[in-house]
Amino acid sequence: MNPRRTLAITGRLLAQFRHDHRTLGILFVTPLVVLGLFAAMLGGDAPLPTLGVVQLDGGPLGPQVAEALLDSEAVAASELTDVNAGESAIGDGTLDGFVTIPSDFSTSLGTGTVSLDVRVEGTDGARTARIVGAVQGGVLAAMQSYAPPVPSGVVAPSLPKLDVAVSYRYGDGDLGPLDQLGGPFIGLIVFFLVYIVTSVSFLRERSLGTLERLMATPLRRPEIVVGYLLGFGLVAIIQSAEVLAFGLLVLGLYNAGSVLLIFGLLLLLSVGAVSLGIFLSTFARSEFQAVQFIPLVVVPQVLLSGIIVPVADEPGWLQPISNALPLTYAVDALRDVMLRGSGVGEIALQVAVLAGFVIVVLAAASATLRREVA
Amino acid sequence: MSAAVEVREVRKQFGEIEALAGISLTVQAGEIYGLLGPNGAGKTTLIRAIVGLVRADGGEVRVLGSVMPDRATLSRIGYMTQAAALYADLTAEENARFFAAVQGNGDRRGVEAALRFVELWERRRSVTATLSGGMRTRLSLACALVHGPDLLLLDEPTVGVDPQLRVQLWDGLRRMAAEGTTIIVSSHVMDEAERTDRLGLVQGGRLLAEGTVAEILALGGSDRLEDAFLRLAGTETQDR
Repeated sequence: MNPRRTLAITGRLLAQFRHDHRTLGILFVTPLVVLGLFAAMLGGDAPLPTLGVVQLDGGPLGPQVAEALLDSEAVAASELTDVNAGESAIGDGTLDGFVTIPSDFSTSLGTGTVSLDVRVEGTDGARTARIVGAVQGGVLAAMQSYAPPVPSGVVAPSLPKLDVAVSYRYGDGDLGPLDQLGGPFIGLIVFFLVYIVTSVSFLRERSLGTLERLMATPLRRPEIVVGYLLGFGLVAIIQSAEVLAFGLLVLGLYNAGSVLLIFGLLLLLSVGAVSLGIFLSTFARSEFQAVQFIPLVVVPQVLLSGIIVPVADEPGWLQPISNALPLTYAVDALRDVMLRGSGVGEIALQVAVLAGFVIVVLAAASATLRREVA
Repeated sequence: MSAAVEVREVRKQFGEIEALAGISLTVQAGEIYGLLGPNGAGKTTLIRAIVGLVRADGGEVRVLGSVMPDRATLSRIGYMTQAAALYADLTAEENARFFAAVQGNGDRRGVEAALRFVELWERRRSVTATLSGGMRTRLSLACALVHGPDLLLLDEPTVGVDPQLRVQLWDGLRRMAAEGTTIIVSSHVMDEAERTDRLGLVQGGRLLAEGTVAEILALGGSDRLEDAFLRLAGTETQDR
């Protein structure tokens, strides 16, 4: 091995890096940004689960349990007048669950078993577990303080058995992590792949001179953009159908909503990805640089769109960033449809935001296709 | 004879570099006009200005009667870029058919005629990436003339094409001109320039001289185009 020739290769590489500031930036800045975001995302204080308390017991124990829950540091509890109020609060997302202390709660003490009904939203397993734990803790604390002081030398009577019946608004309690992540991941995969393919293929159009050639024809800019949308859109339709079928039929992802609606959301996401690919290809000079956009475009969206950690559980300063990312709305809408069975009306806001994003990026993409090369 | 292209006092500055310094020229319909000059003389910028891809800082370009840029006129122009700008993963025929379609003329016979013109009809099913450099240049030419344009702008069209085929291509261009197509072709190869009807010697974004080959030779006081060019260029012969 000739050291001079070897070092010539090394020297040339370093010289190339010196001329390519963007690559240097991506090599040294991106890891810090990504790691920082990751740490920040996991470092948020997840807000306490919200619990409603419907206290129907006339006896002494029920009010004490209710008080223990309202004082609990494990949940943010509030009093409810009846079960219907709880049900509608779960529906509009203001409560994660509610507990009903039945009218015979105190009298059932004599039977050795006390029963409580806990109703939870059900799409977030961790939150459900925290609610059930808090309820059990509250009842135990109340019963311990309720039990009369036992004289020394006397064996304390054992506490009654606690039976907590949990019912689920969505998902029957069988929603696992895969169901939680599956829908959003389908969206992410479709978005990511369509973005990459479009941005690289459009970049080639720019760098190989075919775009210049197209600009010397009567083609209008919207014709190019819409032509691309239709072409990649068609591929995206097939890809979405394939990924969705795999997710639902092979992986058995839970879906309570309309498959057509999920499909529509994926298409909207693909159109956004095509537009973004065309738009961002303006800022890359080579396919290498287009690939370098991945950590900038895709990684923050993976981390911050609520796929892994719900946006509400992120630190406050990170939430506005999450709320500015299009994928956040897609993730939210996909979960709403698949886990909660939401219809078009219930995800109208998310769809509107996604559509707005598509329109803005489409206009930007079209604007980057100036006829003049200089 | 009417003017197909009129360039009037066109100026274009790229930062410090003056690419076009108030250049004027007129090309008649059915004429083959050669733009001759060293690399960086402004030939490509001038062609781009004619097709409307470069917005001039001043002056006016009129093509086939319309002030450029004019979208409707573009369908009557065929433009061959300096690098063979083609879709490498399409076949030769697919490339030609695509360019015919975006020009608004998807005629099958036009595609066949164009591919035959550049002697690539037999290779029409070959994927472009597998073609040799010269073949790709020829395919690029086919894509520029596939829609039967009235004005053909060719930026260094015969780079990498072997001498025998170069002769055939020039014969073909000559026939097209005889049928009324106006052709503007840039080159830095002197012997190629001799095949044109008229020549414009371009340097430093200016037209140094213009005329038939005989006129240029007389102007330069030489019997070799190269010497005439160098003499006309005076001290401004370095690449810009």
